Order: sequence, then structure tokens, then C-alpha cells
Amino acid sequence: MNKIKIIESSFRILRRNKLNTFFMILGIVIGIAALSLTFSLGKSAEKQLTRKVKNLFNPNNILVTSGRVELESGRSSESSMTNLEIEDIEAIMNEVRGITMYDVIQATPERDVIFSNKNIPTAINGGMAEGEMVWRRSVISGEYFSKAEEKSSARVALIGTKIAKKLFEGSNPVGSQIRIGTVPFTVKGVLEERGIDPHGTDLDMNVIVPITTLMNRLMNVNYIAGAKFELEDASMTEEIAGKITSVLRERHSLNNNETNDFSIVTPVVVKEIIGKMNRVFTLFLPLISGIALLVGGVVIVVIMLMSVSRRVSEIGLRKALGARSQEIMFQFLIEAAVVSLFGGIIGLAIGLVGAGVFMSSMGLTFFIPWETILFGVLFPIIIGVLAGIIPARKAAKQDPIEALS
Amino acid sequence: MIQLKNISKIYGKDGQQVKALDNANISIAKGEFVAIVGASGSGKSTMMNILGMLDRPTSGEYYLENKEISTLTDDELAKIRNKKIGFVFQKFHLLPKTTAIENVELPLIYSDRKDIRKLAVDALAKVGLSNRGKHRTNELSGGQQQRVAIARALVNEPEVILGDEPTGNLDSKSGLEVVGVFQELNRSGKTIILITHSGEVAEHANRIIRIHDGKITEDYKVEKPLDARTELAELKKAIN
Ligand SMILES: Nc1ncnc2c1ncn2[C@@H]1O[C@H](COP(=O)(O)OP(=O)(O)OP(=O)(O)O)[C@@H](O)[C@H]1O
Ligand SMILES: [Mg+2]
Repeated sequence: MNKIKIIESSFRILRRNKLNTFFMILGIVIGIAALSLTFSLGKSAEKQLTRKVKNLFNPNNILVTSGRVELESGRSSESSMTNLEIEDIEAIMNEVRGITMYDVIQATPERDVIFSNKNIPTAINGGMAEGEMVWRRSVISGEYFSKAEEKSSARVALIGTKIAKKLFEGSNPVGSQIRIGTVPFTVKGVLEERGIDPHGTDLDMNVIVPITTLMNRLMNVNYIAGAKFELEDASMTEEIAGKITSVLRERHSLNNNETNDFSIVTPVVVKEIIGKMNRVFTLFLPLISGIALLVGGVVIVVIMLMSVSRRVSEIGLRKALGARSQEIMFQFLIEAAVVSLFGGIIGLAIGLVGAGVFMSSMGLTFFIPWETILFGVLFPIIIGVLAGIIPARKAAKQDPIEALS
Repeated sequence: MIQLKNISKIYGKDGQQVKALDNANISIAKGEFVAIVGASGSGKSTMMNILGMLDRPTSGEYYLENKEISTLTDDELAKIRNKKIGFVFQKFHLLPKTTAIENVELPLIYSDRKDIRKLAVDALAKVGLSNRGKHRTNELSGGQQQRVAIARALVNEPEVILGDEPTGNLDSKSGLEVVGVFQELNRSGKTIILITHSGEVAEHANRIIRIHDGKITEDYKVEKPLDARTELAELKKAIN
């Protein structure tokens, strides 16, 4: 058999039956476009998120927050938000080995930050002097506040570059007097630029003051929102998380049947959350698209079966002239494969262009996972050949005399 | 070349059986030009299908070059048809929306021949259609279409060419031209089996086999076969 000639004649037949060919291609185009769009979007979102979380969250970090946080929904139970104290964290430092440093976390809702006649509302964060190391964020001018200033609730503040620009318009803010609400503060330094974090918070709008100052002078509370620990060894994360849990449970006098009134976020937990979010994109949506692709396959089966019945005399003739069953099958399988490969390539192009548009509008970096290309080419061929089998077998069984009479 | 021994073909189930062929015995030698004639329903097409290995007899033996073929599979028969038999049908059976040359190439696609295009061009030249290769078949006249079909029948150089009423759908002049092509092929050594219900067409053969109700009633040599070439020349003269 001359395969090239058979393939050529398949192309010719497809070209000459444009409407049939169009509908067969359309089904595959829709399926593959949806598949490649959702899959590459999902992959891109996953990549972006993983990278951002990695920046924020080193593998040797543990985050403890007050309240039982439902990680998926981000909600936390209000009642237990007020019972994590600095003493809890100090107890952890005393009792748990393997922690090199830590910083505590607390913040106010928006407060006015005022200099001369200018006024910017922003959240005020509290931290310890070690924050410079723990968050790996130092100052570009002035100095970080000292341990002594932290202990004495000194009214000193570190401000982000955007705050500096807006309030001081180019002049050096270090040493100037600002007010937060009604409380006067001295600007101690300007924080390094960090941009926007994954939650959409502009870190260059940060104002950081010593934790005690924040608690005593701005908020008047005795609890903190959480703490970040840095470990000696990332492989100890789970073990240390367990120890922190038991220290906190004991200090909060929780019975065995009570759930934690705090949450511990480890890199493993973060990965799980990301994984759950991404399953929607990389599993669930592509699954739906896969169903669309299957429908495309069914369309091919139906149209090709019609085509086989219309072409009985062609098939009979080919058999009379010496075509064996396998050669007839080959021809129809090639037709199905060509149609779906073609549909796959068009679908892939549409899907990737669509993905590009979505990615840029969602602020994701453009990225095509290699699997998409593979799916876009391989899936259609497989679907096409599978869809072609039934019609091709029907054609191959054709009796030449019946077809020729 | 071909030997049929006690061939019968019965259609239908018990009760409503039709004996389309009834104990037919035929022996055809290489290089013969045989016409098989008979009235409508006499069993000519049935005979053609069996001779062409498109169908299997209900009983009897078929020897091709002294080999019995009834044990061969459908695919093996397909290969033999491809190599040894060229078909010309009453309704042409050309592929629609396809050029003449592509139609002629069709048997070669299923052979292991090389240079398919060149062989097809040569075959079209033999039937006098060199300048029509790129034309689609629906742009050709009936006579031209049947000549494309003949080119297709001879392109793989079969030993036997089987025609089932090849002139049935043609006017008398086109019919004569087609018969002329068959005669020429016969002169070049091909075995020709021509099925027709026209006594006049049959007179161009060297031998006539008559079928009636599935039985062979006559089988005789034609002493002086008509020559399509001279008839065509006379026809031209008469018109001028
Ligand atoms: N597939 C079939 N099923 C049942 N009966 C059939 C079948 N094919 C042919 N016959 C019967 O067999 C007999 C011979 O038919 P066949 O087609 O061979 O005749 P024919 O000589 O070719 O006639 P025509 O000149 O009209 O083409 C007829 O009585 C016909 O009705
Ligand atoms: Mg007939």
C-alpha cells in the first residue's frame, strides 16, 4: 500500500467535504482550546503563587497566629483572637529548641500618618528589633529601632518608601517628627523597597513601630496577632510545630476535646493550601474541558459514520480495485486523525492566545506549560483515532458488490 | 488462465431461492476476447462478480492459473484482483470531484508499484486522454469517463480485463470507441471478458458465451469478428 497516496487522498476528501470537515474540527477546537486555556492558566497561577509564597515564606519558617484560622476561607473565630500574648512566645523560646530567632506580629487598622499638612491613612505594624533579620528587611536610610527602644516603648517609627515620598516629597525624613493619630513619633529610618505582596498589600506603604509602643500607645491591648519563627534546620519543621502546639495548648489550658485557639502555618501547610487552590485550575477545570473534548470525539464518530454510509460506493470501488480491509481502515483513521490534529492545533492556538490575554489581565506572567503543547497535539490524535475506529471498521466490512451495484 | 467448474450461485433463503448461476463450466485461455451475452436477469452480472472474485460461488471450483481460489481470504483475493484483473463497470464508478489522473492512480495505491503518477499518465495516453488528466471526472463526457475507467483498469497491467456492460450507458459512437480500445488491448495480449446484452457488441469478440437462466446455452468461436476501427472510420465518412 502506498501510505502517502492514501494520506493525500484523505486530505483531498476532507477538503472537498468542507462542511463535514468543519464540524469535526470545530468539536476538537473547542475541547482543546478550553483544555489548554484552563490548564496553562492554572499552571501559571500555581507558579506565580509558589514563587511569591517562597519569597515570603522560607522553608525554615513557622508562623503562629492567634485564633483558629480556617485556612481555605481565611476566616478566623473571633472569640479566640485575643489570647495570644508575648509571654506565650517567650515561653516557646524557652521550652522549644531549634529556633534561631523570631519576631512578633500585630497591626492596627488604618490610622492617619501626618506630617505638616499632609496626611496618609495606613495600617501600623508592630515588631521587635529582630524584625530586621527575621523579615530580611533593613533600612535604606537612618537606622532600625534598637532593642532598648523596643523595651521602652519608644515613639520611633520606620516608614516605607512610598510613605516617605508622599509625606516628605524628596527631603530626608530621618529625624523628623510625624504623628500617628494624635501620638507624636520620630522617623528612625526608611524601609527597603518591597513592592506588593501576594495579598495585594503594598509593603512600601508600611509603617513599623516597636511592638510594645504599638500595644501600649496606639492600640492599648495586651495580645498579639502572631509570631514568625526561624528554625536552625528546615527538616525539623514538623517536629518543632508539634512542640509549639503542645506548649501553647498547655499555656492556654486546653482540654483534649478542645480545638486549638491558634494556628500554626508551616511550609507543608502552605503547600497544601496552594495545592488545594490549584486543583481547581489544574484538575477540575481541565476535567470539564476534557469532557468537551470527548464530545468533540463523539461528533467525529457521528459525522464519519454518516460519511461512511454516503461513501459506500467509493469504498466498494476501492475494495474491488484491490484495497484490503486494513487499507480501508487506515484511510478512515487517517481522515479522523488529520481532522483532529488540525482541530487540536487551532484549538491550542486559540487556547494559548486566550490564556495570554487572561494572564496579562490577571497580572500573571505569561507562561506556557510544556504539557499543554503535548496535550494539544497528542490528545486530539488519540481522540481522533479512537473516534475513527468505529466508522473505519464499518467501512472496512463493506461488501464490494453491494457497494458497486 | 481461468477455469470455472460446475459453478452455481444461489441467492435468497429456502423457499424463495434464485439460481443466478446453474452448474456453469467455462474455460478461458490467455489472450482470448470473450463476450458473455444473455437477456436481463440471465445471470451475467453474477458471472462477472464471480469471475472478478468480488463474490464467491455457492458451489463449484474456480481455478486461476491452475490454482483453486475458494480457500483464499478476502484480503488475499483483494491482492489478486489488484494484480491480475482490471474492472470496467457499466456506471463507470469513478470517484466524484476527483481528477482523471487521480482516478487512474487508484489501483496503484494498493499495489507496491513505484512511480505511480508516471504509470497513470501512460495509461491515460493509451486511451487517448493525455490532455484530460487534470480534469475532474464530472467535466468529462460519458465516453471519456468510460475511457478513464479503462485506463484505471489497465494501469496495473493486469492479465485480464473484465467489462460489465461497459457500453451500456454510452451512445453508439462512444460505445464503438470503447469496444475499439478493448480490441486494441486484446491485440496487445490482454485477455478480455466483456459482458453485454447487445449481440452487436458481442460480435467484436473472438468467442461468445450465451447464458440463459443461469445456464450456459451456447459457447462458440466468432469466425469474422467486427473491427471497431473500420466501423468508426466508416461512421466518420458517412457523417462527412
Ligand atoms: N443480491 C441478490 N440477491 C438476490 N437475487 C439476486 C441478487 N443479485 C442478482 N439476483 C438475481 O439473480 C438473477 C441474475 O441476476 P444478474 O444481476 O446476474 O442478471 P444480469 O444478467 O446481470 O441482468 P441485467 O442484464 O439486467 O444486468 C436475477 O434473477 C436477479 O434477480
Ligand atoms: Mg447486470
